[in-house]
Amino acid sequence: MTTLFQQIANGIVLGAVIGLIALGYTMVYGIIQLINFAHGEVFMVGAYGGLATYTYILPEQFRDDWQIALPAVLVGGIVISVITAVIMERFAYRPLRGGPRLAPLITALGVSVALQEAVRLFYPGATATLAFPPLFVDGDLRIPVPGGGGDVVITWIKLLLVIVAVLLAVGLQMYVSRSRMGRAMRATAQDADTAKLMGVNPDRVIVLTFILGAALAGVGGVMYGAYQNTINIDMGFQNGIFAFTAAVLGGIGSLRGAVIGAFCIGLIKTLGGQYLPGGNQYDYVWIFVVLILVLVFRPEGLFGEPEKVRA
Amino acid sequence: MRNQLVKSAAIVAGALLLAACGTNKTETEGGGGGAAACDTSKGTLVVGVVAPLSGALSALGLGIENSASLAVDQANEACKVKGYKLALQAEDDQANPQVGAQAATKLSSDANVVGVIGTLNSSVAQNVQPVLADKDIVQISPANTNPTLTKGEKFLDAPERQFDTYFRVCATDDVQGPFAAKYLVEKAGKKKVAIITDGKTYGDGLAAEFKKQLETLGGTVVAQEKVGEKDTDFSGVIAKVTPSAPEVVYYGGEYPAAGPLSKQMKDAGLNIPVFGGDGIFDAKFIELGGKEGDLATSVGAPTETLDSAKAFIDAYAKKGYSEEYSAYGAFSYDATNALIGALATTLGDSGTWGEDQRMKLLENVGKYSAAGATGDVAFDEYGDSTNKLLTVYQVTGGKWDPAETGTFEK
Amino acid sequence: MSRVTSWMRPVHALAFRVVGAVLVLIGTLMAWATFVYNNGAYPAKATLQYFDAPFALNSFRLHLAILGIAALAVALAPVPGRNRILRGLGWGVIAIAAVHMAFMTYEGGGLGAIAGGTAFGSWSTLVGGILIVLAAHGGGLEGPVHLPTKMPFYVAWLVLLVSFAGLLMLVSRTLTAGGQGGVANPYSGPLFLSFVGYAGGLLAALHGAGLLPWISRLSEGHRAFSIVVLLGCALALPFTDAGTEYWMTVAANIGVYAATAIGLNVVVGLTGLLDLGYVAFLGIGAFVAANLSGAAAARFDIELPFIVAALIAAVVAGIFGAIVGSPTLRVRGDYLAIVTLAFGEIFVRSAQNDIGGLTNGSNAIPGLPPISLFGKGFNESITIGGAKLPSGVLYYFLIVLLVAVVMAVFANLKNSRIGRAWVAIREDEDVARAMGIRTGQAKILAFMVGATLAGLAGAVFAHKLSTVSYESFKFLESVTLLAAVILGGMASIPGAVLGASLLFVLPEKLREFSEYRLLMFGLALVLIMRFRPQGLVPDKHRRAELVGEDPEGKPLDESDVGQAHLPDVGPTTGPTTREAT
Repeated sequence: MTTLFQQIANGIVLGAVIGLIALGYTMVYGIIQLINFAHGEVFMVGAYGGLATYTYILPEQFRDDWQIALPAVLVGGIVISVITAVIMERFAYRPLRGGPRLAPLITALGVSVALQEAVRLFYPGATATLAFPPLFVDGDLRIPVPGGGGDVVITWIKLLLVIVAVLLAVGLQMYVSRSRMGRAMRATAQDADTAKLMGVNPDRVIVLTFILGAALAGVGGVMYGAYQNTINIDMGFQNGIFAFTAAVLGGIGSLRGAVIGAFCIGLIKTLGGQYLPGGNQYDYVWIFVVLILVLVFRPEGLFGEPEKVRA
Repeated sequence: MRNQLVKSAAIVAGALLLAACGTNKTETEGGGGGAAACDTSKGTLVVGVVAPLSGALSALGLGIENSASLAVDQANEACKVKGYKLALQAEDDQANPQVGAQAATKLSSDANVVGVIGTLNSSVAQNVQPVLADKDIVQISPANTNPTLTKGEKFLDAPERQFDTYFRVCATDDVQGPFAAKYLVEKAGKKKVAIITDGKTYGDGLAAEFKKQLETLGGTVVAQEKVGEKDTDFSGVIAKVTPSAPEVVYYGGEYPAAGPLSKQMKDAGLNIPVFGGDGIFDAKFIELGGKEGDLATSVGAPTETLDSAKAFIDAYAKKGYSEEYSAYGAFSYDATNALIGALATTLGDSGTWGEDQRMKLLENVGKYSAAGATGDVAFDEYGDSTNKLLTVYQVTGGKWDPAETGTFEK
Repeated sequence: MSRVTSWMRPVHALAFRVVGAVLVLIGTLMAWATFVYNNGAYPAKATLQYFDAPFALNSFRLHLAILGIAALAVALAPVPGRNRILRGLGWGVIAIAAVHMAFMTYEGGGLGAIAGGTAFGSWSTLVGGILIVLAAHGGGLEGPVHLPTKMPFYVAWLVLLVSFAGLLMLVSRTLTAGGQGGVANPYSGPLFLSFVGYAGGLLAALHGAGLLPWISRLSEGHRAFSIVVLLGCALALPFTDAGTEYWMTVAANIGVYAATAIGLNVVVGLTGLLDLGYVAFLGIGAFVAANLSGAAAARFDIELPFIVAALIAAVVAGIFGAIVGSPTLRVRGDYLAIVTLAFGEIFVRSAQNDIGGLTNGSNAIPGLPPISLFGKGFNESITIGGAKLPSGVLYYFLIVLLVAVVMAVFANLKNSRIGRAWVAIREDEDVARAMGIRTGQAKILAFMVGATLAGLAGAVFAHKLSTVSYESFKFLESVTLLAAVILGGMASIPGAVLGASLLFVLPEKLREFSEYRLLMFGLALVLIMRFRPQGLVPDKHRRAELVGEDPEGKPLDESDVGQAHLPDVGPTTGPTTREAT
């Protein structure tokens, strides 16, 4: 029984990270119908940015003091990932806007490869896995499970991650639904031309979308590194695909859907790895199967509206 | 307007010319003829290295490359091979069998290659061996530990030499695994073990040997799982293993996965030691999450304790390489010296290298015997090293500390 | 011949031309580097220390001399298309000089490495080249030169024979330029690049003289002959300088990827289905062949003759192609890309975990026996009529044959009914369906054909590499193949081959930069999509998806809407539809 609950807890933690990335995917796709392949790399860059902040900028005496180290590293990670996303948008995607759909997709692939390699080449030691500081109190929360088999163990950093993710998601939802800029974003997502007629500047809205998505991904990257204690350059690609699956599962364009989809994906991975044949080696495969099934049979996902997918 | 452009371009060009004159460099040390008195009239011979120079295992691979380079430099200074200069050509195999095979193909197509030092990973070696053997190129590995590479699938009852060109200077897993099991049961007193491997030749092979001996000594394997070599999130497999209440986790694989595994086990409440093989024996293991009390076995005696190794350690430090010589540096140094020594014997005082010399070189490598940084270096009829020393290390105070050195006798 | 406005007085242009050419020639005779580098003296006796008489010009200085003499000759003689020729020559000179100057500066640690004493050769050539280009532009670039194509067929055949033989030599020289990169050869990178500059300059000059378009038109007029000669040239490559084992291996690898890229072209180029998991079919073919080859780690204990194994591999891959194709019927565009990506990842993960014991997981399947025909292993060296060919040459011949077959299949399909159906689906699927095309069947067929071709290539690949590992079939390889197709030009056969060649030859030659290979590759993708999305050798008929132009190259205009403009690419594509949606 404990194993079941433990795996559920693990799934929720993973879902929180995936959700932070998925929100970025879903927002960008909602506004400019682009699958930003490079978004996973933005997540990765955020983690490395945070590590760089910790290693090179944060003075030695504060390193063990998580009240200072954690916010500093988070800010560092967010700054780097936002800068990356803005540059990406400005130089790679904006010139191709309004053109045929194949070009930005391939460009996104190119940006993704280039980003991975740039980090690998220019960040010292990045060809191997790098250690990431824990950044929070040690220790864990133990929930005893009736029926024997031990406690469910959740480290504090994982709990923090889930809380932060949920808070950010809720905050984003409130921003998009209540604020003026949020309204502009929703308008552009619905009908870009009419929004333009109404006085919305599409460039600014799009840049803001990228910034918000990147900030969330940056937070995700730093916290992922913190609870895994290692980061490597491959972490963006895999988690990016999971995040995209989550966004699609929840309904692309829907923020709520992205988060719920993400938790579903996290649970599928951990529970599938535990109980389905093939064990934890095939846990990834189940996620891809879900992706294919969703795209083929219900492309609008759980919360999206059925729309004609443009070719 | 265009004329102005031309004129200004001419002025800029002129200014650059003047500036260039100003930065005239004083002559640096001239050309390739650095080694003073050696006769290198016959050309350059190449010692190849195939190891992971980039990627997760680069700490080990670069240690191998640097040590080989040290040996080559020393040989050049001592004019060991008469008439030739030796050069090192290191090819990156990225711990990937395919890339390794391509690197081997590249080296084997060069007639000036006399031999290859490598590989690190047993799975890569399986793909490199046939390529090099095809061309009769000597291969000496400083780090492959899987016994099937020299003795074949049935290495225990019916050993059969696989490739006449393949040698190694380190001990093999058919002694490393049982050595670990013996230490665990007899010295550490633990009997319930969960085995996790990464599915590769090395990890699976080592774990299988460990398991056999463990069960002979009365221990039990309470769980056995596999992870991917590039995995970083082990919460799933840890949750699977925890219910069987193991006392130790034996990990067959390398440190990029073992380090995080150890830490995540502790975080998940499974605070038991991780015991691994030479693949996890590196400072990076501790950096990536290895905790106090984790154990590892490695081949050879601890480098720092051997007198023969002192010269190597000093020379390595003097060269100022940016990486440590790590677990296999001394072995790589010995392997390279074996190759160079055999080459010197083959060519004698006035021999000329040609592809026809390769068979002779093979014979001489087989007969090579000398003292090296890891002890006495010699090869048996299978190409295995006659040096079967092993050491158990334990993480104490944030570093690997040797706990016991010995050999495994059946 | 119309003249673009010239902004230099004729006498100035003449002066620039002549002075430029003379400066280039002076530069070839002077020294280039001021001291001997740590890695050895700079090649072609370009170093001050080695400047002793008598000296002969070789390597890049010879190339520069050739370009310089040609420039001088053309500068003084009134040749049609003169300024275009000069422009090509000038840029060639600049390229060579720039490459060497950059490299020497980098190696020498400062500009002082190339300026001092009498070592002004590099500057002289650079300035000379710039002057020539300025003269060419200043004199006014003429319109394209048209040479007559009406001639008796044997004359045309002779011309084609000579030009393709020249092409063969060019390819052979390009491949071997700089020598094999390695420890014993530290200058191979810049030597190779400078040769590319030289070849580029010569080709640009020939193009300016109108020769290249002329040859191209001739070859189109005598298609069958051209194809036979080209095939003969490809088969003759091992007899040239590039006939070393090393190059046979590289050429063989290029051939396999080119064949796969052509297969991908069927799916992406012809039918417009973006497949991001395509390399999985190559992998399936390779693993099937590996398991049937009798290797020690193979799942099955049988050893089938290669032809049989290859056919089985192709069929199995084709079946998987149909399987992957079927769910994609309901999915389009971006989502299709993601579904194919998911399939590709499932393949990689399953292969990594040694599914069914078929792939041996992380340990790969080593020791595949080489293909052998009539007892002769393909990795051995053979002797034809006294000429000893390098080992691996039989693989090379086999792969040339494979590529030829794949090309033939592609060309035939493209011009057939199903090919036109595919193109129709690419242009607008709904309209195609309305016209009565069975789009579902056609799409599955496209996947099947593409997968079968890839499976066939995979079987050859497995034996050539003698090791099959799941690592060769990861997502990055799919992206590389896609990039090869796009870089070369979608739906264009020579484009796919060119793309594959570039992506696999360049890393071999530029070993010094191998670290940066993937980075360059990613940036190249971005830049291509930005500036030349139709690729290097674009298919004439293939425009609408990427560039809003008609086959003649004129941009589609909104005012064209409604006009029955051109037969095969109507005005329903391009920016106009975008606004209307």
